[in-house]
Amino acid sequence: MIAELLALVPVQRAGFGLLLGAIALPPVGVLIVGLDIYPVRFAIMHVALLGSAIGLLTGTDPLLWALVLCALAGGGLAPFATTSAGLSGAMGLLMSLAIAVALLVLSISGVNANGAFELLWGSILSTRPVDLAVLGVLAVAIPALFWWRRRDLSLLLHDRELAACSGVRTGPLTMALLVVIAVSIAGAIKLTGALLVDALTLLPALAARRIGRGLTGMVVASIGIGLVVAVGGLMLALVLDQPPGPVLVLLAGVIALLAQLLPMRRT
Amino acid sequence: MNDLWHVTALSLLLKGVHCRYGRHPAVHSVDLDVPAGLRVALIGTNGSGKSTLLRAVLGFQPVADGVVEVGGERAVSAAQWRKRRTEVAWIPQLRSTGRFPLLLGELLDSSGDGVAAREAAARLGLEGLESRGVHTLSGGQAQRAWLARAVGAVAAGAGMLLADEPTAALDFVGQEEAAAVLTELPVTLLVATHDRAVAEACDKVVEMAAGRLRDVA
Repeated sequence: MIAELLALVPVQRAGFGLLLGAIALPPVGVLIVGLDIYPVRFAIMHVALLGSAIGLLTGTDPLLWALVLCALAGGGLAPFATTSAGLSGAMGLLMSLAIAVALLVLSISGVNANGAFELLWGSILSTRPVDLAVLGVLAVAIPALFWWRRRDLSLLLHDRELAACSGVRTGPLTMALLVVIAVSIAGAIKLTGALLVDALTLLPALAARRIGRGLTGMVVASIGIGLVVAVGGLMLALVLDQPPGPVLVLLAGVIALLAQLLPMRRT
Repeated sequence: MNDLWHVTALSLLLKGVHCRYGRHPAVHSVDLDVPAGLRVALIGTNGSGKSTLLRAVLGFQPVADGVVEVGGERAVSAAQWRKRRTEVAWIPQLRSTGRFPLLLGELLDSSGDGVAAREAAARLGLEGLESRGVHTLSGGQAQRAWLARAVGAVAAGAGMLLADEPTAALDFVGQEEAAAVLTELPVTLLVATHDRAVAEACDKVVEMAAGRLRDVA
Protein backbone atom coordinates (compact mmCIF):
# COMPACT_ATOMS: atom_id res chain seq x y z
CA MET A 1 0.00 0.00 0.00
CA ILE A 2 2.82 2.39 0.90
CA ALA A 3 4.55 1.56 -2.37
CA GLU A 4 1.36 2.33 -4.28
CA LEU A 5 0.99 5.67 -2.51
CA LEU A 6 4.62 6.54 -3.14
CA ALA A 7 4.09 5.90 -6.84
CA LEU A 8 1.54 8.71 -7.00
CA VAL A 9 2.90 11.97 -8.39
CA PRO A 10 1.32 14.21 -5.69
CA VAL A 11 2.86 12.06 -2.97
CA GLN A 12 6.24 12.12 -4.71
CA ARG A 13 6.05 15.90 -4.98
CA ALA A 14 5.05 16.15 -1.35
CA GLY A 15 7.96 13.97 -0.29
CA PHE A 16 10.43 15.88 -2.45
CA GLY A 17 9.07 19.17 -1.16
CA LEU A 18 9.43 18.00 2.41
CA LEU A 19 13.03 16.95 1.78
CA LEU A 20 13.85 20.36 0.30
CA GLY A 21 11.99 22.05 3.13
CA ALA A 22 13.88 19.98 5.68
CA ILE A 23 17.14 21.38 4.30
CA ALA A 24 16.00 24.99 3.90
CA LEU A 25 13.71 25.67 6.82
CA PRO A 26 15.44 24.40 10.00
CA PRO A 27 18.34 26.88 9.54
CA VAL A 28 15.68 29.58 9.31
CA GLY A 29 14.43 28.36 12.67
CA VAL A 30 17.97 28.73 14.00
CA LEU A 31 17.89 32.35 12.86
CA ILE A 32 14.52 32.91 14.54
CA VAL A 33 15.86 31.46 17.80
CA GLY A 34 19.10 33.42 17.51
CA LEU A 35 17.42 36.73 16.80
CA ASP A 36 14.76 35.96 19.44
CA ILE A 37 11.93 36.87 17.07
CA TYR A 38 9.52 34.01 17.62
CA PRO A 39 6.40 36.07 16.66
CA VAL A 40 7.87 36.74 13.22
CA ARG A 41 6.25 33.58 11.86
CA PHE A 42 2.78 34.90 12.61
CA ALA A 43 3.53 38.38 11.31
CA ILE A 44 4.90 37.04 8.05
CA MET A 45 2.03 34.59 7.63
CA HIS A 46 -0.41 37.49 7.84
CA VAL A 47 1.59 39.32 5.20
CA ALA A 48 1.52 36.18 3.06
CA LEU A 49 -2.24 36.10 3.48
CA LEU A 50 -2.35 39.67 2.20
CA GLY A 51 -0.24 38.63 -0.76
CA SER A 52 -2.61 35.78 -1.47
CA ALA A 53 -5.58 38.15 -1.31
CA ILE A 54 -3.91 40.48 -3.81
CA GLY A 55 -3.19 37.50 -6.05
CA LEU A 56 -6.84 36.48 -5.97
CA LEU A 57 -7.90 40.05 -6.64
CA THR A 58 -5.60 40.48 -9.62
CA GLY A 59 -5.84 36.96 -10.95
CA THR A 60 -2.09 36.40 -10.58
CA ASP A 61 -0.11 33.80 -8.66
CA PRO A 62 -0.76 34.27 -4.91
CA LEU A 63 2.61 32.67 -4.06
CA LEU A 64 4.46 35.28 -6.09
CA TRP A 65 2.67 38.08 -4.29
CA ALA A 66 3.27 36.42 -0.94
CA LEU A 67 6.99 36.12 -1.66
CA VAL A 68 7.33 39.72 -2.78
CA LEU A 69 5.31 41.22 0.07
CA CYS A 70 7.05 39.04 2.66
CA ALA A 71 10.46 40.07 1.34
CA LEU A 72 9.46 43.72 1.58
CA ALA A 73 8.05 43.18 5.08
CA GLY A 74 11.25 41.46 6.23
CA GLY A 75 13.35 44.31 4.90
CA GLY A 76 11.00 46.86 6.40
CA LEU A 77 11.33 45.32 9.84
CA ALA A 78 15.13 45.54 9.84
CA PRO A 79 15.50 49.14 11.10
CA PHE A 80 13.53 48.22 14.22
CA ALA A 81 16.08 45.54 15.15
CA THR A 82 18.49 48.15 16.49
CA THR A 83 15.94 50.07 18.52
CA SER A 84 15.58 49.57 22.25
CA ALA A 85 12.00 48.39 21.73
CA GLY A 86 13.22 45.64 19.41
CA LEU A 87 11.17 43.92 16.74
CA SER A 88 8.23 42.69 18.82
CA GLY A 89 6.14 45.84 18.61
CA ALA A 90 6.84 46.29 14.90
CA MET A 91 5.90 42.68 14.21
CA GLY A 92 2.64 43.07 16.14
CA LEU A 93 1.79 46.19 14.16
CA LEU A 94 2.68 44.50 10.89
CA MET A 95 0.54 41.49 11.75
CA SER A 96 -2.52 43.59 12.56
CA LEU A 97 -2.20 45.86 9.57
CA ALA A 98 -1.57 43.00 7.16
CA ILE A 99 -4.64 41.01 8.18
CA ALA A 100 -6.80 44.14 8.18
CA VAL A 101 -5.71 45.11 4.66
CA ALA A 102 -6.05 41.49 3.51
CA LEU A 103 -9.65 41.31 4.70
CA LEU A 104 -10.36 44.67 3.11
CA VAL A 105 -8.87 43.53 -0.21
CA LEU A 106 -10.93 40.35 -0.11
CA SER A 107 -14.05 42.34 0.69
CA ILE A 108 -13.46 44.89 -2.07
CA SER A 109 -12.61 42.26 -4.65
CA GLY A 110 -15.64 40.16 -3.81
CA VAL A 111 -13.67 36.94 -4.31
CA ASN A 112 -14.19 33.88 -2.17
CA ALA A 113 -11.95 34.27 0.87
CA ASN A 114 -11.60 30.53 1.28
CA GLY A 115 -8.87 30.48 -1.34
CA ALA A 116 -6.79 32.90 0.65
CA PHE A 117 -7.38 31.24 3.97
CA GLU A 118 -6.28 27.87 2.57
CA LEU A 119 -2.83 29.28 3.15
CA LEU A 120 -3.31 28.91 6.86
CA TRP A 121 -3.67 25.16 6.59
CA GLY A 122 -1.30 24.32 3.79
CA SER A 123 -1.91 21.59 1.27
CA ILE A 124 1.08 19.33 1.10
CA LEU A 125 -0.38 16.96 -1.47
CA SER A 126 -1.17 19.80 -3.87
CA THR A 127 2.48 20.94 -4.02
CA ARG A 128 3.17 22.28 -7.51
CA PRO A 129 6.41 22.29 -9.52
CA VAL A 130 6.73 26.04 -8.92
CA ASP A 131 6.53 25.43 -5.15
CA LEU A 132 9.30 22.84 -5.50
CA ALA A 133 11.36 25.31 -7.50
CA VAL A 134 11.04 27.94 -4.76
CA LEU A 135 11.94 25.39 -2.08
CA GLY A 136 14.84 24.15 -4.19
CA VAL A 137 16.31 27.63 -4.44
CA LEU A 138 15.91 28.10 -0.68
CA ALA A 139 17.46 24.67 0.04
CA VAL A 140 20.58 25.71 -1.84
CA ALA A 141 20.74 29.38 -0.89
CA ILE A 142 20.14 29.17 2.85
CA PRO A 143 22.79 26.56 3.77
CA ALA A 144 25.16 28.38 1.40
CA LEU A 145 24.47 31.67 3.21
CA PHE A 146 25.21 30.01 6.55
CA TRP A 147 28.47 28.55 5.29
CA TRP A 148 29.58 31.74 3.56
CA ARG A 149 28.82 34.08 6.45
CA ARG A 150 29.15 31.67 9.37
CA ARG A 151 31.61 33.85 11.28
CA ASP A 152 29.47 36.96 10.95
CA LEU A 153 26.28 35.07 11.76
CA SER A 154 27.80 33.47 14.87
CA LEU A 155 28.83 36.86 16.19
CA LEU A 156 25.61 38.67 15.26
CA LEU A 157 23.34 36.03 16.75
CA HIS A 158 25.41 35.99 19.94
CA ASP A 159 25.72 39.72 20.48
CA ARG A 160 25.05 42.57 18.04
CA GLU A 161 27.65 44.82 19.68
CA LEU A 162 30.34 42.16 19.59
CA ALA A 163 29.58 41.69 15.90
CA ALA A 164 29.82 45.43 15.29
CA CYS A 165 33.19 45.51 17.07
CA SER A 166 34.38 42.64 14.89
CA GLY A 167 33.83 44.41 11.59
CA VAL A 168 30.44 42.84 10.83
CA ARG A 169 28.01 45.06 8.92
CA THR A 170 25.22 44.36 11.37
CA GLY A 171 22.55 46.50 9.71
CA PRO A 172 22.69 45.03 6.19
CA LEU A 173 23.21 41.51 7.55
CA THR A 174 20.18 41.80 9.84
CA MET A 175 18.09 43.05 6.94
CA ALA A 176 19.27 40.17 4.76
CA LEU A 177 18.41 37.66 7.49
CA LEU A 178 14.93 39.09 8.00
CA VAL A 179 14.29 38.95 4.26
CA VAL A 180 15.53 35.35 4.17
CA ILE A 181 13.28 34.43 7.08
CA ALA A 182 10.26 36.12 5.53
CA VAL A 183 10.77 34.66 2.06
CA SER A 184 11.40 31.19 3.50
CA ILE A 185 8.22 31.22 5.52
CA ALA A 186 6.28 32.45 2.50
CA GLY A 187 7.93 29.81 0.34
CA ALA A 188 6.93 27.08 2.77
CA ILE A 189 3.29 28.09 2.86
CA LYS A 190 2.09 25.53 0.38
CA LEU A 191 4.04 22.82 2.12
CA THR A 192 3.21 23.43 5.74
CA GLY A 193 0.61 26.15 5.98
CA ALA A 194 0.80 28.94 8.49
CA LEU A 195 -0.23 26.84 11.41
CA LEU A 196 2.23 24.01 10.80
CA VAL A 197 5.29 25.93 9.71
CA ASP A 198 6.93 25.38 13.09
CA ALA A 199 7.31 21.67 12.34
CA LEU A 200 10.12 22.43 9.92
CA THR A 201 11.44 25.70 11.31
CA LEU A 202 11.30 26.29 15.01
CA LEU A 203 10.99 22.79 16.46
CA PRO A 204 14.09 21.34 14.76
CA ALA A 205 16.02 24.46 15.76
CA LEU A 206 14.93 24.20 19.38
CA ALA A 207 15.98 20.54 19.45
CA ALA A 208 19.27 21.33 17.73
CA ARG A 209 20.04 23.98 20.33
CA ARG A 210 20.47 21.17 22.87
CA ILE A 211 22.59 19.06 20.56
CA GLY A 212 24.76 21.22 18.32
CA ARG A 213 27.89 23.06 19.36
CA GLY A 214 28.15 26.59 18.07
CA LEU A 215 26.26 27.89 15.06
CA THR A 216 27.57 25.38 12.50
CA GLY A 217 26.80 22.46 14.80
CA MET A 218 23.32 23.78 15.43
CA VAL A 219 22.57 24.25 11.75
CA VAL A 220 23.80 20.77 10.83
CA ALA A 221 21.84 19.22 13.71
CA SER A 222 18.70 21.17 12.80
CA ILE A 223 18.84 19.97 9.18
CA GLY A 224 19.37 16.39 10.36
CA ILE A 225 16.37 16.63 12.67
CA GLY A 226 14.35 18.28 9.89
CA LEU A 227 15.10 15.38 7.55
CA VAL A 228 14.07 12.85 10.20
CA VAL A 229 10.84 14.77 10.77
CA ALA A 230 10.11 15.11 7.04
CA VAL A 231 10.79 11.50 6.06
CA GLY A 232 9.50 9.95 9.28
CA GLY A 233 6.44 12.18 9.44
CA LEU A 234 5.37 11.56 5.85
CA MET A 235 5.86 7.81 6.12
CA LEU A 236 4.00 7.71 9.40
CA ALA A 237 1.15 9.71 7.92
CA LEU A 238 0.91 7.34 4.97
CA VAL A 239 0.98 4.27 7.21
CA LEU A 240 -1.61 5.70 9.57
CA ASP A 241 -3.64 7.17 6.69
CA GLN A 242 -3.73 10.53 8.46
CA PRO A 243 -3.06 14.07 7.19
CA PRO A 244 0.72 14.65 7.02
CA GLY A 245 0.73 18.14 8.59
CA PRO A 246 -0.36 17.26 12.12
CA VAL A 247 1.75 14.08 12.09
CA LEU A 248 4.83 16.12 11.11
CA VAL A 249 4.20 18.62 13.88
CA LEU A 250 3.66 15.91 16.47
CA LEU A 251 6.83 14.08 15.47
CA ALA A 252 8.85 17.31 15.50
CA GLY A 253 7.35 18.20 18.86
CA VAL A 254 8.25 14.82 20.36
CA ILE A 255 11.84 15.16 19.12
CA ALA A 256 12.06 18.71 20.51
CA LEU A 257 10.71 17.51 23.85
CA LEU A 258 13.12 14.58 23.99
CA ALA A 259 15.99 16.94 23.17
CA GLN A 260 15.07 19.05 26.18
CA LEU A 261 15.85 16.04 28.35
CA LEU A 262 19.44 16.12 27.17
CA PRO A 263 21.89 18.17 29.23
CA MET A 264 23.18 21.32 27.53
CA ARG A 265 26.59 20.64 25.96
CA ARG A 266 29.46 22.20 27.84
CA THR A 267 32.16 21.15 25.44
CA MET B 1 56.81 47.32 23.04
CA ASN B 2 55.26 49.57 20.43
CA ASP B 3 57.69 48.19 17.87
CA LEU B 4 56.64 44.66 18.68
CA TRP B 5 52.94 45.44 18.41
CA HIS B 6 53.07 47.77 15.37
CA VAL B 7 50.40 49.85 17.06
CA THR B 8 49.82 53.58 16.92
CA ALA B 9 48.09 54.82 20.05
CA LEU B 10 45.17 57.15 19.34
CA SER B 11 44.04 60.27 21.15
CA LEU B 12 40.52 60.72 22.51
CA LEU B 13 38.69 64.02 22.64
CA LEU B 14 35.28 64.49 24.23
CA LYS B 15 33.85 67.99 24.07
CA GLY B 16 30.51 68.95 25.62
CA VAL B 17 29.17 65.40 25.36
CA HIS B 18 25.56 64.86 26.44
CA CYS B 19 23.79 61.49 26.48
CA ARG B 20 20.23 60.78 27.50
CA TYR B 21 17.96 57.84 28.14
CA GLY B 22 14.66 59.29 26.96
CA ARG B 23 14.28 62.48 28.96
CA HIS B 24 16.76 61.44 31.63
CA PRO B 25 20.27 62.82 31.22
CA ALA B 26 22.96 60.18 31.80
CA VAL B 27 26.05 62.13 30.72
CA HIS B 28 26.06 65.89 31.05
CA SER B 29 28.47 68.22 29.29
CA VAL B 30 31.54 66.02 29.58
CA ASP B 31 34.89 67.32 28.38
CA LEU B 32 37.87 64.98 28.33
CA ASP B 33 41.14 65.18 26.43
CA VAL B 34 43.21 62.00 26.51
CA PRO B 35 46.54 62.26 24.64
CA ALA B 36 47.67 59.20 22.69
CA GLY B 37 49.16 56.56 24.95
CA LEU B 38 47.77 57.89 28.23
CA ARG B 39 46.03 55.46 30.60
CA VAL B 40 42.99 56.92 32.32
CA ALA B 41 40.88 55.31 35.02
CA LEU B 42 37.25 56.36 35.13
CA ILE B 43 35.81 55.88 38.58
CA GLY B 44 32.42 56.68 40.06
CA THR B 45 29.40 55.16 41.69
CA ASN B 46 26.98 52.85 39.90
CA GLY B 47 24.72 54.81 37.59
CA SER B 48 27.07 57.78 37.39
CA GLY B 49 27.37 57.49 33.60
CA LYS B 50 30.69 55.67 33.16
CA SER B 51 29.37 52.91 30.93
CA THR B 52 27.23 55.32 28.93
CA LEU B 53 30.25 57.48 28.22
CA LEU B 54 32.35 54.54 27.04
CA ARG B 55 29.53 53.21 24.88
CA ALA B 56 29.07 56.67 23.34
CA VAL B 57 32.64 56.55 22.04
CA LEU B 58 31.76 53.35 20.16
CA GLY B 59 28.40 54.59 18.94
CA PHE B 60 26.41 52.11 20.99
CA GLN B 61 24.90 55.00 22.93
CA PRO B 62 23.64 57.97 20.90
CA VAL B 63 25.31 61.29 21.67
CA ALA B 64 22.59 63.92 22.05
CA ASP B 65 25.06 66.76 21.79
CA GLY B 66 28.80 67.33 21.72
CA VAL B 67 31.84 66.01 19.91
CA VAL B 68 33.62 62.65 20.13
CA GLU B 69 36.90 62.30 18.26
CA VAL B 70 39.26 59.33 18.19
CA GLY B 71 42.62 60.01 16.60
CA GLY B 72 41.27 63.42 15.60
CA GLU B 73 38.42 61.92 13.59
CA ARG B 74 34.69 62.01 14.13
CA ALA B 75 32.44 59.13 13.12
CA VAL B 76 29.23 59.91 11.27
CA SER B 77 28.73 57.43 8.44
CA ALA B 78 28.38 53.67 8.86
CA ALA B 79 31.82 53.21 7.31
CA GLN B 80 33.36 55.65 9.80
CA TRP B 81 31.75 53.81 12.72
CA ARG B 82 33.06 50.50 11.39
CA LYS B 83 36.54 52.03 11.21
CA ARG B 84 36.27 53.34 14.75
CA ARG B 85 35.17 49.98 16.09
CA THR B 86 38.25 48.34 14.64
CA GLU B 87 40.50 51.12 15.93
CA VAL B 88 39.07 50.90 19.44
CA ALA B 89 39.22 47.59 21.31
CA TRP B 90 36.29 47.04 23.66
CA ILE B 91 35.77 45.07 26.84
CA PRO B 92 32.08 45.37 27.76
CA GLN B 93 30.70 45.14 31.24
CA LEU B 94 30.15 41.52 32.14
CA ARG B 95 26.67 40.48 31.08
CA SER B 96 24.79 37.30 30.39
CA THR B 97 27.14 36.60 27.45
CA GLY B 98 24.71 36.75 24.60
CA ARG B 99 21.61 34.82 23.67
CA PHE B 100 23.15 32.34 21.26
CA PRO B 101 25.98 29.83 21.63
CA LEU B 102 29.40 31.20 20.73
CA LEU B 103 32.59 29.24 21.25
CA LEU B 104 35.47 30.79 23.14
CA GLY B 105 37.68 30.20 20.11
CA GLU B 106 35.21 32.13 17.94
CA LEU B 107 35.22 35.00 20.42
CA LEU B 108 39.02 35.14 20.40
CA ASP B 109 39.21 34.90 16.60
CA SER B 110 36.74 37.79 16.28
CA SER B 111 39.45 40.11 17.62
CA GLY B 112 41.18 40.32 14.26
CA ASP B 113 44.30 38.50 15.45
CA GLY B 114 43.21 35.12 16.70
CA VAL B 115 46.77 33.92 17.27
CA ALA B 116 47.62 36.79 19.63
CA ALA B 117 44.26 36.47 21.37
CA ARG B 118 44.69 32.73 21.88
CA GLU B 119 48.21 33.25 23.25
CA ALA B 120 46.86 35.84 25.66
CA ALA B 121 44.03 33.50 26.63
CA ALA B 122 46.57 30.78 27.40
CA ARG B 123 48.56 33.18 29.58
CA LEU B 124 45.35 34.09 31.37
CA GLY B 125 44.58 30.46 32.19
CA LEU B 126 42.07 29.70 29.44
CA GLU B 127 44.17 27.22 27.47
CA GLY B 128 42.20 24.22 26.24
CA LEU B 129 38.85 25.92 26.63
CA GLU B 130 38.57 27.20 23.04
CA SER B 131 35.81 24.76 22.15
CA ARG B 132 33.74 25.69 25.19
CA GLY B 133 30.68 27.86 24.74
CA VAL B 134 31.18 31.34 26.16
CA HIS B 135 27.93 30.90 28.08
CA THR B 136 29.44 27.96 29.96
CA LEU B 137 32.39 29.97 31.31
CA SER B 138 32.41 31.40 34.80
CA GLY B 139 32.22 35.16 35.22
CA GLY B 140 35.95 35.37 35.86
CA GLN B 141 36.78 33.18 32.88
CA ALA B 142 34.53 35.28 30.67
CA GLN B 143 36.29 38.47 31.73
CA ARG B 144 39.67 36.90 31.04
CA ALA B 145 38.34 35.84 27.63
CA TRP B 146 37.30 39.40 26.79
CA LEU B 147 40.66 40.66 28.02
CA ALA B 148 42.42 38.17 25.76
CA ARG B 149 40.19 39.30 22.89
CA ALA B 150 41.22 42.89 23.57
CA VAL B 151 44.88 41.85 23.34
CA GLY B 152 44.10 40.29 19.96
CA ALA B 153 42.34 43.47 18.82
CA VAL B 154 45.37 45.56 19.81
CA ALA B 155 47.66 43.12 18.00
CA ALA B 156 45.41 43.59 14.96
CA GLY B 157 45.98 47.35 15.10
CA ALA B 158 43.56 48.91 17.57
CA GLY B 159 45.14 52.03 19.05
CA MET B 160 42.78 52.48 21.96
CA LEU B 161 41.16 50.24 24.54
CA LEU B 162 37.90 51.00 26.29
CA ALA B 163 37.20 48.67 29.19
CA ASP B 164 34.08 48.67 31.33
CA GLU B 165 34.79 47.19 34.76
CA PRO B 166 37.05 44.50 33.27
CA THR B 167 38.06 43.02 36.62
CA ALA B 168 34.72 43.05 38.46
CA ALA B 169 34.37 39.27 38.47
CA LEU B 170 38.03 38.44 39.16
CA ASP B 171 39.69 37.41 42.40
CA PHE B 172 42.54 39.49 43.84
CA VAL B 173 45.26 37.65 41.90
CA GLY B 174 43.20 37.86 38.74
CA GLN B 175 42.65 41.58 39.26
CA GLU B 176 46.39 42.20 39.48
CA GLU B 177 47.08 40.05 36.42
CA ALA B 178 44.38 41.83 34.47
CA ALA B 179 45.61 45.24 35.58
CA ALA B 180 49.10 44.31 34.40
CA VAL B 181 47.84 43.17 30.99
CA LEU B 182 45.64 46.23 30.57
CA THR B 183 48.30 48.77 31.42
CA GLU B 184 51.10 47.07 29.49
CA LEU B 185 49.24 47.32 26.21
CA PRO B 186 50.79 50.08 24.07
CA VAL B 187 47.51 51.89 23.53
CA THR B 188 45.45 54.71 24.93
CA LEU B 189 43.38 53.26 27.75
CA LEU B 190 40.11 54.47 29.23
CA VAL B 191 38.91 52.04 31.85
CA ALA B 192 35.81 52.32 34.00
CA THR B 193 36.63 50.61 37.25
CA HIS B 194 36.00 50.22 40.94
CA ASP B 195 39.28 48.30 41.24
CA ARG B 196 42.02 50.11 43.14
CA ALA B 197 44.76 48.02 41.48
CA VAL B 198 43.61 49.07 38.03
CA ALA B 199 43.18 52.72 39.00
CA GLU B 200 46.64 52.87 40.59
CA ALA B 201 48.24 51.42 37.47
CA CYS B 202 46.82 54.24 35.35
CA ASP B 203 48.42 57.62 34.65
CA LYS B 204 45.33 59.61 35.50
CA VAL B 205 42.10 59.13 37.41
CA VAL B 206 38.88 60.99 36.62
CA GLU B 207 35.56 60.62 38.40
CA MET B 208 32.02 60.58 37.07
CA ALA B 209 29.31 61.78 39.43
CA ALA B 210 25.70 62.25 38.35
CA GLY B 211 26.75 62.34 34.72
CA ARG B 212 29.49 64.95 35.16
CA LEU B 213 33.25 64.47 35.05
CA ARG B 214 35.94 65.82 37.34
CA ASP B 215 39.66 65.20 37.77
CA VAL B 216 40.80 63.25 40.83
CA ALA B 217 44.50 62.69 40.25
